[in-house]
Amino acid sequence: MIFVRKAVFIDSIKYILFLSVIVFILTVSSSNMNYNWQWYRVPGYIFTYSADGSLEAGRLLKGLGVTVRISAISLVLAFIIGMITALLRLSSSFAARVVSRIYLELIRNTPLLIQLFVIYFVISPVFNISPFVSAILALSLFEGAYASEIIRGGINAIPKGQWESAYSLGMSSIDTYRYIILPQTFKQVLPPLTGQAVSLIKDSALVSTIAIFDLTMAGQAIISETFLTFEIWFTVALIYLLMTVSISTFVHYLEKRNSYAH
Amino acid sequence: MLIEPIISVNNLNKYFFSPDKSLKIDAVKNVTVDIFQGEVVVVIGPSGAGKSTFLRCLNGLEDFDSGTIVIDKIPLDHHHKNRLEIRKEVGMVFQSFNLFPHMTVGKNISLAVRRVRKKSVSECDKITVDLLEKVGITDKIDSYPGQLSGGQQQRVAIARALAMNPKVMLFDEATSALDPEMISEVLDVMKNLAKDGMTMVVVTHEMGFAREAGSRILFMDNGEIVEDRKVEDFFLDPIEDRSKAFLSKVL
Ligand SMILES: Nc1ncnc2c1ncn2[C@@H]1O[C@H](COP(=O)(O)OP(=O)(O)O)[C@@H](O)[C@H]1O
Ligand SMILES: [Mg+2]
Repeated sequence: MIFVRKAVFIDSIKYILFLSVIVFILTVSSSNMNYNWQWYRVPGYIFTYSADGSLEAGRLLKGLGVTVRISAISLVLAFIIGMITALLRLSSSFAARVVSRIYLELIRNTPLLIQLFVIYFVISPVFNISPFVSAILALSLFEGAYASEIIRGGINAIPKGQWESAYSLGMSSIDTYRYIILPQTFKQVLPPLTGQAVSLIKDSALVSTIAIFDLTMAGQAIISETFLTFEIWFTVALIYLLMTVSISTFVHYLEKRNSYAH
Repeated sequence: MLIEPIISVNNLNKYFFSPDKSLKIDAVKNVTVDIFQGEVVVVIGPSGAGKSTFLRCLNGLEDFDSGTIVIDKIPLDHHHKNRLEIRKEVGMVFQSFNLFPHMTVGKNISLAVRRVRKKSVSECDKITVDLLEKVGITDKIDSYPGQLSGGQQQRVAIARALAMNPKVMLFDEATSALDPEMISEVLDVMKNLAKDGMTMVVVTHEMGFAREAGSRILFMDNGEIVEDRKVEDFFLDPIEDRSKAFLSKVL
């Protein structure tokens, strides 16, 4: 416990030092560039007053809504795809192993941006898929491949004795997975899967390239109209940071609450 | 009167390849043995003799290469259904307990009864309580395995296997991983089971248990059954040189 606190303390110090350096560089560079800071204009892109005077989401917040929706749906799908792929790779069927292997190699050895373009420009016209669905498809297929490797590693890390005692009780493979192997796997792979979820949120910024008005796209659009380059990019980065940090914190809390005695 | 054996093993062979695939190891070699209801068969022999492999073949944890195994009239063959049927009737206790660490003691015991035997929740609860009483740990039903001592964990593992109401129990060095002061609490449970008439195949180094509770000794070496004798006869008058050498070391 003391070690953990110490580590957190050192991390915080490093973080503060790092921030100070950034702020210093920015101040110097912006004064060299005669950059005209206009932070007061930023809140208007987060909240704005509609015609009838009520408060409503500004463009950045609307973009955030799109990012959250795409990320959340992709996250669920990526988990399901990852799960199925992991089980296929571990199954006794040769065909299942080959298919899952091809999918993994294809996804992991090509850039996400290209996958996104292939789905958006090649596949979506054929099947008449909307950009929103294309984005979700690309993200969940991409992150699902990585999730499957994490899950497979977790399953392989369960001691052989767990399978053997389940089998020796007459349990089927399905029941053994469901009651014995997977519950233990999830406890183990929750931290790396959370890392993957954080990656997914960050990678979702790429969907701005296929005409989806997510957080990144909203930021880009505002900047091209207002030239608030620094203010908007910092705000956008901060919003991404808040999202990813709250996910990590929430999972950390879940982990602590659900840990069982060893 | 003809009594049918509950376990009938005929000409069983199982080999492994050494890790570099160059050497063929006969883990079980031409093993033929019949085991009858109520017998307590103690399997002894040096490390690497094939005792564990033999035991694991009996409930299909290990595939064998040739020969036949019939348990309770069910042949252990390529039919997966038969394998599952046999596993319902054959309980196994491992050296390393292998309890499910994410489940309470109660859940460890009742899970298979519920999922495999399809008993109702109330029946499962009753079976769990009865068995915990039998192995002497009634107060730990809501504990997790990690909160128990090794001896307690192994007694829960025995209860878990018994909950399926098996016709045969297999023990693979059930006390070898235990601290010395906990060995007897587990052996006592096993002795009581033997007294109650359970058919047991027990791999152990505890010669005291073999003498007290065993009815028959199988002495294995290099995958073969070297000697198959009544317990008294074996200890008084071992025939084979290998048995004599082994006994002189362990007694
Ligand atoms: N999974 C395995 N792969 C390769 N060799 C094995 C495996 N399991 C057991 N063996 C070998 O088979 C022989 C018998 O092992 P085992 O049945 O564990 O003996 P015992 O339980 O009597 O000590 C040993 O030589 C052992 O090295
Ligand atoms: Mg062994």
